[in-house]
Amino acid sequence: MSPKRIVITGLGTINGAAKTIPAFQEAIIQGKSGIAPLDLFDVSQYATQIGSQVKEYHPADYFSPRQVSHLSRTDQLALIAANEAVTMSAISGCYDPYQIGVCIGGGVGGMLHAEEWLQGELSNKPARPGLLRTLLPDSSTTALAHSFGFAGYQGSITTACSSSGTAIGWAADLIRSGRQQAMLCGGADALTMLTFAGFNALKVVDPNPCAPFSAGRQGLSLGEGAAFLVLEDEQAARGRGAQILGYLLGYALLGEAHHMTAPEPGGESAARVMNAALSAAGVEHGQVGWINAHGTGTPLNDVGESNAVKLVFGERAPQVPLISTKAITGHCLGAAGAIEAVASVLALNVGIIPQTLHFRGVDPECDLDYGHAGSRTTDTRIALSNSFAFGGNITSIVLGSAALQQEVC
Amino acid sequence: MDRFTPAIAITGTAAVSAAGIGIKPALEALTSDTSCLKPIPDDLVAGKTGHCWGRADQFKATDFIPPLKARKLDRASQFAVAVAGMALVDAGIVKGAFPSDRIGIALGSGFGGIANASEFLSGYYQAGVPGLSPMLFPNTVANAAASNASIEYGLQGPNITFIQRFCSAETAILAACRFIEEGRADIMLAGGVDELTPQMIRGFAATGQLTRYAAGFGEGCGMLVLERAEHARARGAAIAAQITAINTVGFLLPGVEQQGINHLLQAQGDCDQLIFSGPELAVKPLLNSVNAGSTHYPSRIIGSSLAMGGIALGLLTASLQPGEQGLQLAASPEGPYYAISLRGGSPA
Repeated sequence: MSPKRIVITGLGTINGAAKTIPAFQEAIIQGKSGIAPLDLFDVSQYATQIGSQVKEYHPADYFSPRQVSHLSRTDQLALIAANEAVTMSAISGCYDPYQIGVCIGGGVGGMLHAEEWLQGELSNKPARPGLLRTLLPDSSTTALAHSFGFAGYQGSITTACSSSGTAIGWAADLIRSGRQQAMLCGGADALTMLTFAGFNALKVVDPNPCAPFSAGRQGLSLGEGAAFLVLEDEQAARGRGAQILGYLLGYALLGEAHHMTAPEPGGESAARVMNAALSAAGVEHGQVGWINAHGTGTPLNDVGESNAVKLVFGERAPQVPLISTKAITGHCLGAAGAIEAVASVLALNVGIIPQTLHFRGVDPECDLDYGHAGSRTTDTRIALSNSFAFGGNITSIVLGSAALQQEVC
Repeated sequence: MDRFTPAIAITGTAAVSAAGIGIKPALEALTSDTSCLKPIPDDLVAGKTGHCWGRADQFKATDFIPPLKARKLDRASQFAVAVAGMALVDAGIVKGAFPSDRIGIALGSGFGGIANASEFLSGYYQAGVPGLSPMLFPNTVANAAASNASIEYGLQGPNITFIQRFCSAETAILAACRFIEEGRADIMLAGGVDELTPQMIRGFAATGQLTRYAAGFGEGCGMLVLERAEHARARGAAIAAQITAINTVGFLLPGVEQQGINHLLQAQGDCDQLIFSGPELAVKPLLNSVNAGSTHYPSRIIGSSLAMGGIALGLLTASLQPGEQGLQLAASPEGPYYAISLRGGSPA
């Protein structure tokens, strides 16, 4: 019996570049960046004062006052994106609720609110204790499960910047292994002072909008947001007449066991995880049209990831565009993998390879095709999406366009 | 449904807890019903007396890690590095004896990274940008513990960290078993780690949790070494027990709670030994559906935590005689719920 194929039947997102899937698709096609001055908290002490914050966000547009007081900013973003995905999938009521699970990749959870509490503690002006209620990222998972009545599996993966890429792969496997029939999976992470100060302290934030794979790049631009996918077994999804939006073909995860913050410069482990993902997906190297890179724009990441792609694709590497959508969305940390998975599916379905924005010149150490010149049309149906993280937690997922459906019928 | 074929063998266990270093002192405290909890110092909970905590006071990081390296690690990472080393030794696994890319780690992490985050932010709020300490930031992530352990022992297989309420470790153990089942790894270290700091106690006190779910909170780390039984046999390892099934539900849906309980406890209604973790009130609906020869609640002895499933399963493994059925139940007030079935000894 051939293994189950996992299909995507719902997509949702809210991020600094767009607040809905149609708007995000337009941002990807047009190459519209969400990176702009930040005003979520005071960044006046920092040399860098930009990021990809969700624009004109008013919680009252989405939630009741009581909900707003009980949900962190991360929880809210998660619920908004997940609601778009669940609505699109029309999955509610189609399965036993104990057979639908929720898996989120998270980062700082409700840290933004805990920071307010900590400031109160330090200044002897005690703040509202409720600010701590949503501190951990599993708060979002619980909120989604209860909100949608999905009583199956609950899991929150916390492997920093690879959290939500891994969450999508793991969710697909929960279906493939027969443990669940459907999964709501993705990631959510809000901007916080902790991460803004932290990456600035490490001197890996570019004062200008990030310029992945360019000469003169100085680092990343932080972002925030959420993205979710609804996954199902293909046969079951077709059986209920669901619209198939794409395929989650396979994934791999591993630990580099190299360094807490620095990637392996030669890219050996990153190459291993990409090869393992392709193997798990049953996809030949020649079928991969392009790669949505981790592509942060830090000097170390971009060289290491380029080296890894050369190891994976050999002489064909220059023909496999390695593009980064982080110049559009910023680096959304725990949500990055999910936002980039959604970006990849949207691009695959409209037949384009997105542009890597903010080109500043050729870096001799980055000598592949990074799509700096602009987006281009393609008939490719499969893309890889990489997510690398602190601690050497690295993940690669293999995504297919909806058009793959015709090939497997 | 969630049975593993073939069964996953447990070939090593290790722990650090309020009872001391290793599984043995915790098991002795559990079987003699001797609490290891101590009063929380009054200065941490001004005006609120009578609260206890389960600090791992006997743990000295430098007993396991060179001093310079230990200073760079947060407390959860120190626990994880020490316990991972002890678990590998217990399983007879020597660094370099197996392909590093076939050994991985899956941990549940409760409040791992929070202490570093608090210290890092305090520097900023008190002194502005000059008060930021870049050294603290990398270990503010919850995966620091598993990652530092992977770096220490060269574990280049699957590496994953979960936080999921009081079932964080169980969530990680399910993933570890699946990674072995589908062949992503030959050997997985799996369990949970949690740390307990004065700052956390102040937070629990402020939110009223010292009298609720954080009453008698503890810290520590417990890990299992998991592998396929044939893999263990091929390398001559002793199999202490097998994980035969893991079932989970996210929460008990109002009106159809029993359906969720049935899903969770399918074919696991009877066992020789039962261990449960998580707040008693949350586990209670499950306990009524299980007939157990003996029942233990280690949280009362060494303190509860979000990620104590590794210790709980280590205790259950050590308690089981060959052929005995063991069951670990774990629950959180808003979910999830876990039931993990063990059989003592080596499979026939």
